[in-house]
Amino acid sequence: MENLFKLDKLEKTYPNGVRALKGVSFDVNKGEFLVIIGLSGSGKSTMLRCLNRIHEPTGGDLQFKGKSVVSLKGRELRQYRSKIGMIFQHFNLVPRKSVLENVLTGTLSRTSIFKSVFNMYSDADRQKALELIEVVGLKGKEMHRADNLSGGQQQRVSIARALMQDPEVLLADEPVASLDPATSHSVMEYLRKIQQQYGITVICNLHFLSLVREYGTRVVALKGGEKMFEGSPSEIDEDWFKRIYGEQAVEVTIN
Amino acid sequence: MKKKSTAFKTLLIDFLLASYLVLCIDSFIFTRHTMENGIDWASFGVVLLIGLILGLILNRVSKLSIGKMFLKEYDTSKARGIGQKPYAILGLVILAVTFYVGVLVTELSFYEFFSQAGIQGATRIFTALLNPNFEVLDQGILAVIETIYMAFIATAFSLPFAFLLSFFAARNLMNGSGFGLTVYYVIRFFLNVSRSIEPLVWAIIFSVWVGIGPFAGMLALMIHSVSSLAKLYSEQIENISEGPLEAMTATGAHPIQVIWYGVVPQVILPFLSFTIYRWDINVRMATVIGLVGGGGIGTLLMQFQGLARWNEVGLLIIIIAAVVWLMDFLSSKIRESIK
Repeated sequence: MENLFKLDKLEKTYPNGVRALKGVSFDVNKGEFLVIIGLSGSGKSTMLRCLNRIHEPTGGDLQFKGKSVVSLKGRELRQYRSKIGMIFQHFNLVPRKSVLENVLTGTLSRTSIFKSVFNMYSDADRQKALELIEVVGLKGKEMHRADNLSGGQQQRVSIARALMQDPEVLLADEPVASLDPATSHSVMEYLRKIQQQYGITVICNLHFLSLVREYGTRVVALKGGEKMFEGSPSEIDEDWFKRIYGEQAVEVTIN
Repeated sequence: MKKKSTAFKTLLIDFLLASYLVLCIDSFIFTRHTMENGIDWASFGVVLLIGLILGLILNRVSKLSIGKMFLKEYDTSKARGIGQKPYAILGLVILAVTFYVGVLVTELSFYEFFSQAGIQGATRIFTALLNPNFEVLDQGILAVIETIYMAFIATAFSLPFAFLLSFFAARNLMNGSGFGLTVYYVIRFFLNVSRSIEPLVWAIIFSVWVGIGPFAGMLALMIHSVSSLAKLYSEQIENISEGPLEAMTATGAHPIQVIWYGVVPQVILPFLSFTIYRWDINVRMATVIGLVGGGGIGTLLMQFQGLARWNEVGLLIIIIAAVVWLMDFLSSKIRESIK
């Protein structure tokens, strides 16, 4: 199995002194659907943001395809980021812009500053953006304002935006946490499609274990900034569940 | 450590307030100081000394420490009504003394207001103002057009400067590095200084620099507009949602692209709204600036006022009121429609 990310005692301490990651080590393999679970504040989001260096790790090493990426700067860093798509809990679309314009922002790293400021995207990019909008089932909504769409539709726009980067990995930070159960499954189905049909590795933070068991191929659990479990979703039994989420926790399912 | 500095702060407040009280009573109520007397620095020293002693007594011995009140050193949970908060009564006494001194200093006089000569003067000027001379209508309209355009150009020229500066004056964009923060503080400092100088003062400076006329007025308004708009813009930038910014960074976009897509779409309409409002304010300010030689209808008003031609002044006041009302109306309508 080809190794994609290698986290080696990765640490993150915020300027206010909070130690979000206390030396986390694990590997991410190419093509898998890796799910990160853990309580709020366990370091899941921080971990994900350290992978594409939106947050700077403060210790340890991070390798992408065998090369350390913790000291990349400027253009090299931006090119590295462009290989990693990301979607967010609150979608983070550009307000007041159309679906098409939002999807096209996925090409910013390869479009010159001048051209992107004046919306001068190449025909090939426009064509590709239209195709991806169709892939996520939003054909006909290209010129609608993205911030007027429903939550599930906005998340699909952000998936199309991430795909526009031609990514090798997709990071998903609680992609369904602000969606209703039915929409959640539809968005998760799109993520699975991306992983299986496009061969893009997916690393996804999730809350619901039912979703983890259904979609994940492997699970890493974090607690208090430390890795406390790594294995297949079926291995998480009642005992592990209580160790990850605390004695008082009761599992909630989402159908 | 913290306890000590709090105690010092309460003492400092009590000392300053006690000195103020002594100074008020001594120089205004007893000796009735006026401008001509100058300041007697020796007795000012004595006042400070008495203030220090009084402040110490208030702070240490009595329950009248306002410093302790401000820094919440008193337990107010059991105090019922003002009777059990003697320090609040002292506060009211200081307020009353300030009010009394204020009345003395502003030379309030009902006699002047209602005297025979006063009433006659008022009747004369109001009669003239209410009978505007429409012969200078052309002149007034041309002058007010000058004022409106001057305000427009001042707003338009200040816009690109304010737009660029605002990004460097927004804390959330600049706190990435030590260098960024330094730039932020330097720009904030200059914006605060230039904003605290009134456009009227700028107009005086520029009327010496480029000569009396609309150009001087335009420059004065522009300087003030740049700093005011940059502040409003940057506050808007500080309030944006970080999400799109984060998403654009994650795509591997250049920082300029991140700002163009992550920040600008979120702030463009508020910016436009602030700018239109600024034009509205600038029209009003341009009138005042004209009084010190900034051109436009203010300068014309000043000329007629100097000649005591009150009928002409009356007409100009009508024109100004009409234009200000119209600008106010239009700008609020436009701002509503672009929300």
